[in-house]
Amino acid sequence: MAAPAVTAAGAEEASPLSKGIARLLHELEVLPLNGEKAEVAGSFSPENFVLTNYSFWLLVAVVLMLVFFIVASRKSQLVPQGISNVAEAGVEFVRNNICVDVMGPEGKKYFPFIATTFFFVLINNLLGNIPPALPGTGTVGTTFVWGVIVFLVYNGIGIKKNGFVPYIKSLVPSGTPGWLAPLIFTLEVVSHILRPFTLGVRLFANMYAGHIMLGVFAVFMAISLEHFTPVSALVLPLSFVMQVLLRVFELFVAVLQAYIFTILTAVYISGALHASEH
Amino acid sequence: MDIIIPKGYELYVNIVAFAVLFVVMWKFAFPPMTKMLDERANKIRESLEKAEDTKIEAERLLEEYKVQMAEARAEASQVIEQGRKVAESMKAEILAKAKEQAEAEKAKAIEAIKAEKAAAMAELKSEVADLSVAVAGKIIGSSLSKTDHEALIDKYLAEVGSLNEN
Repeated sequence: MAAPAVTAAGAEEASPLSKGIARLLHELEVLPLNGEKAEVAGSFSPENFVLTNYSFWLLVAVVLMLVFFIVASRKSQLVPQGISNVAEAGVEFVRNNICVDVMGPEGKKYFPFIATTFFFVLINNLLGNIPPALPGTGTVGTTFVWGVIVFLVYNGIGIKKNGFVPYIKSLVPSGTPGWLAPLIFTLEVVSHILRPFTLGVRLFANMYAGHIMLGVFAVFMAISLEHFTPVSALVLPLSFVMQVLLRVFELFVAVLQAYIFTILTAVYISGALHASEH
Repeated sequence: MDIIIPKGYELYVNIVAFAVLFVVMWKFAFPPMTKMLDERANKIRESLEKAEDTKIEAERLLEEYKVQMAEARAEASQVIEQGRKVAESMKAEILAKAKEQAEAEKAKAIEAIKAEKAAAMAELKSEVADLSVAVAGKIIGSSLSKTDHEALIDKYLAEVGSLNEN
């Protein structure tokens, strides 16, 4: 994080606002729990392993999800009640409105993967809305991994279903003029390779940006109270209203992004399944 | 800028998280729920079908009962009608029989009266003849012959008969 670091370094002369925002950005950064700054270099070697702030909340979300679903599935009965009613409504939504709607009846086969993805993203997104938690999906480390998993899964399904060569051939639509084929093939390969990145960045950016927006208005409020001036009388209530509206909006974004991530996964799998048909 | 470059240790956490989550959800959490969802869907479908069948059956029964009811009503009124007819014909019969009997009684009575009258007349006739003979014998003595007597009696009887006729 180059820019905020500079701001923080010149904090002596900087305004309280830029100081506050710099502090906020620092907190939203990926930080190992031991407080040292996270470095990309060397972070891949296992002996340097540490839990980061985002990983910590991600694990909290995973534990919550496991507990929730295992309890709900144990209590599942013919007349649904309480927690299993909620869980079953979610399961049914994913099964009917994502799997079957996008992939047709055979989509039920891929339900466990799709549903795991959906509920993982959803619970992480939602957990991020409860202070002081951070969304586990608010870091590229998470979303990129899930993007790559989706990439591997849908290509694996495509290859298994169609065979390796027909699947690769299907990247070029039948009926393409011979001289165009290499170009189309290259474009298709690039677009497929970009998919995990677009999936990952879309989700990460939405969650991260939402948190920055919430944080910015929180900083405004904090500074208005700390340095009370006539301007504060205007800034404070407005920031409060924005904070409330953004909270609601963030809930909406949390659900929407989980849905988008999952439905794109389903669309990719569906495309891989029917690759040889077009 | 390094915010969009993933850190290695986050990748490890996520790979492990995915593996654990996927296996647990796939093997333990989802199967009972999807099974229950399917069971519930089947149960609801069955119940609806059963309700539909029951409804159709009930409607059929109602229709049947209505028809039976109408038949029973028609039959009942027919029975009543028949009963009335029988009663009327019996009444007519009894009346006719009574009348006939009365006629017969009357005829018999008239017969008897006629016979009585004839007997009485015959007796009266013989008595009048005897009396007249006795009276005539007393008046004119025994001078009159048998034939004269008879002529006289006839004449007298004729007179009495004409009296009677008047």
